[in-house]
Amino acid sequence: MTKIPITTTVNGTVHTLEIAPHQTLLELLREGLGLTGTKCGCEIGECGACTVLLDGEPVNSCLVLAPQIDGRNVSTVEGLMRANATDPLQDAFMDHDAVHCGFCTPGMLMSARALLAEDAHPDEASIRTAISGNLCRCTGYVQIIEAIKHVKP
Amino acid sequence: MKPFEYIAPRSLEETTALLARAGTDATILAGGTDLLVEMRRPNKMRKRVVVDISRVSELGGMITSDRSVVIRPLMTHARLQHSELLRIAAPLLASASAAIGSPQIRNRGTIGGNIMNAATCADTVPPLIALGATVTLRSAAGTREMPLSSLFLRPYQTIAAPDELLTEIRFPGLTADARSAFIKLGRRNALSISRLSVAAILRIGRDSRIAEARIVPGAAFPTWQRVTAAEALLLGERPSARLFAAAGACVSKEMILQTGRRWSTEYKEPVIAVLVRRALEQCAAPALPEDGK
Repeated sequence: MTKIPITTTVNGTVHTLEIAPHQTLLELLREGLGLTGTKCGCEIGECGACTVLLDGEPVNSCLVLAPQIDGRNVSTVEGLMRANATDPLQDAFMDHDAVHCGFCTPGMLMSARALLAEDAHPDEASIRTAISGNLCRCTGYVQIIEAIKHVKP
Repeated sequence: MKPFEYIAPRSLEETTALLARAGTDATILAGGTDLLVEMRRPNKMRKRVVVDISRVSELGGMITSDRSVVIRPLMTHARLQHSELLRIAAPLLASASAAIGSPQIRNRGTIGGNIMNAATCADTVPPLIALGATVTLRSAAGTREMPLSSLFLRPYQTIAAPDELLTEIRFPGLTADARSAFIKLGRRNALSISRLSVAAILRIGRDSRIAEARIVPGAAFPTWQRVTAAEALLLGERPSARLFAAAGACVSKEMILQTGRRWSTEYKEPVIAVLVRRALEQCAAPALPEDGK
């Protein structure tokens, strides 16, 4: 199959790539770019472990075809770190023990990041809606919600 | 995923020409929330060509023309959910869009995909049929417009030919005196497939009697339709709990007449009646919140 040339920005870095058309964004991130922070869970858009931001909006990267990100902006959990310092959202997760096994954490962080970009002080109902597409099988939702409530600006 | 040829046309003309050439070899990709799951399923018949329409700007957006609302197929559920226009012209459609999947799914999934996938649980379809929506299909050979209710043949199958593309969804916006509701019942709120749903529109006249009623259940009939027998019960009557319960019982009876008794009937029979009653109550009491859940 013919490879597709794309240019895309991932965590602020511009990449010019030749990709197989049947690759998903999730596969491109993990296998092509080595960004393994984004997790592969159900691969049918139900668990949210693969959540990344596409032009600032949370999406399931398992349901985006890699050629579809041509010309667009992708942010992954690796992009939350700035100058080797953790994001205040990540600090809040640590402070509130919101990480149990950790598998859902990158997706939770990205969904929460998108919410906080729109609303710096979300109420509990908005937080619950924002993470409704992210499953935590350790069921640590209470700590996750508390963490998002208490992110320091 | 198995390999395929990928083409991303930039215009409607280019898209219809591609579809005319590819015929049954091609499948259309928009938001991908259904297609990418399907394409990874083992033993699934695969298409050789994927035509990605997500970059065709003529297929995006929403406008009002005369008193009609025109929605183009690439509108995502998230944009419909937050649309100020729909909040006034078709709040039940905004509620239905908000009830689909999860934020991630709503950011990608499109109304065109929801319709053309033709799953019996498609949440945008009952509201659109209640609104009296028509759809336009376009191919290289021309266009045709039809009521949305006549687009569907059976679950997962529409009358659209392989080279036809949905280009437009159109309905008259609700008048200021109309009230609407969409209620969905799933196993949980987020990411659930509708077990049953109800879209309802009521218009109550100055004499406090029901002047217009439209009831469209979802996931209850093989394809969607207004339940005219139940609507007729309501016309000319004053809203009351007893009247709405009778309309609910009538929808339940019609459902069994059409689908027969099956394993799920014991559950669906009483539950659809209650959902219809609640939807009508929501319409009659506009002060109640309308969040689709």
